[in-house]
Amino acid sequence: MLRNPRREIDVDGHRSVNALLAHLGLPRESHLVIRNGTLVPGDADLGPDDTVEVRPVISGGC
Amino acid sequence: MVAAGSKCRTCRGPAVIDLPRHNANFCAEHFLELCKRQVVKAIDHFEMLSSTDKVLVAVSGGKDSLALWDILIQLGYQADGLYIGLGIGDYSETSGQHARAFAEERGLRLIEVSLRADYGYDIPTAARATRRVPCSGCGTSKRHLFDKAAIEGGYSVLVTGHNLDDEAAVLFGNTLRWDVEYLARQLPVLPARDGFPKKVKPLVRLTERETAAWCILRGIDYLVDECPMAVGNKHLTYKAALNSIEAESPGSKAAFYLNFLENMAPLLQGHSAASTDSLHECRQCGAPTTVELCAFCRVVSKSAAHEPVPVEMLMGKGRGRR
Repeated sequence: MLRNPRREIDVDGHRSVNALLAHLGLPRESHLVIRNGTLVPGDADLGPDDTVEVRPVISGGC
Repeated sequence: MVAAGSKCRTCRGPAVIDLPRHNANFCAEHFLELCKRQVVKAIDHFEMLSSTDKVLVAVSGGKDSLALWDILIQLGYQADGLYIGLGIGDYSETSGQHARAFAEERGLRLIEVSLRADYGYDIPTAARATRRVPCSGCGTSKRHLFDKAAIEGGYSVLVTGHNLDDEAAVLFGNTLRWDVEYLARQLPVLPARDGFPKKVKPLVRLTERETAAWCILRGIDYLVDECPMAVGNKHLTYKAALNSIEAESPGSKAAFYLNFLENMAPLLQGHSAASTDSLHECRQCGAPTTVELCAFCRVVSKSAAHEPVPVEMLMGKGRGRR
């Protein structure tokens, strides 16, 4: 699941968090990835059975 | 699935987050310790707070303000929260729910002010009535009401959740324009003066990726959605530019901002009009101002008489100067 705006996509096979962000064209510095409810680092492996949330962390700062 | 194996720099246990600017990974426990150390370092270095301070935290329901309130309570400070209902449609409804839930779950005091109920307008209406970008009226309203609540509530310090990314982005914008006036007052501590409370920013050593991770690891349910009126504003453009640089050269954002404070800010002392302008009382509300009618009262006078404007009419209009 991706946020802001919220949408869901399916990604096949295994890939790392960093590879997923690169695949989606999302900067690592402005996103966190939550796998099955747990925060995971850039080299964590994401598999086809995992539920993954890609959460942006940038706010307007007003 | 099993993580590929990055380890916590401190305990060698499984890491939950990688921090390129520290060239390190951390487990949950040691990441949270790192965050607290960074906040303590900012508080001590810039003399932001003392143990006897009565603190008012400006709370939006987002990650930064809730993380900040959580950290300050953990550090033992007496800190109440202040939430301002801005009237930005569902966004404000949800942000208020997050702020209230956080306070209720922890038995903390949350003061609430509603622009619509208490002053007869909201931010979308103010934007239309003043013909300014939404962020303009929003900033004016929040600054005035934060100051007012702190002074009237007897709080010695007003604390806001501006993080390293926020401050670096503002610095980037001010530097692009070489705006000496704004550069001279871009400090993490503004002392109390002439009816203004002391204001401090204890999160200036933490990135927003780190404050968001703090909330996730602490189980804090914050408002993830972005303000619909901030979409496309220059502040977000500057953040994206700085994050591109950060990706190539980790640590650049921290060096840009923190070295500004260390090396440049001292040279700019005395260049801010705020340090020399004489203040007097606003003829309407009594707040300190350099003109006859303060900026907040000008917003109120134009907006309260205007027909309410729904947020949908102004979506994505935040492309103003900050």
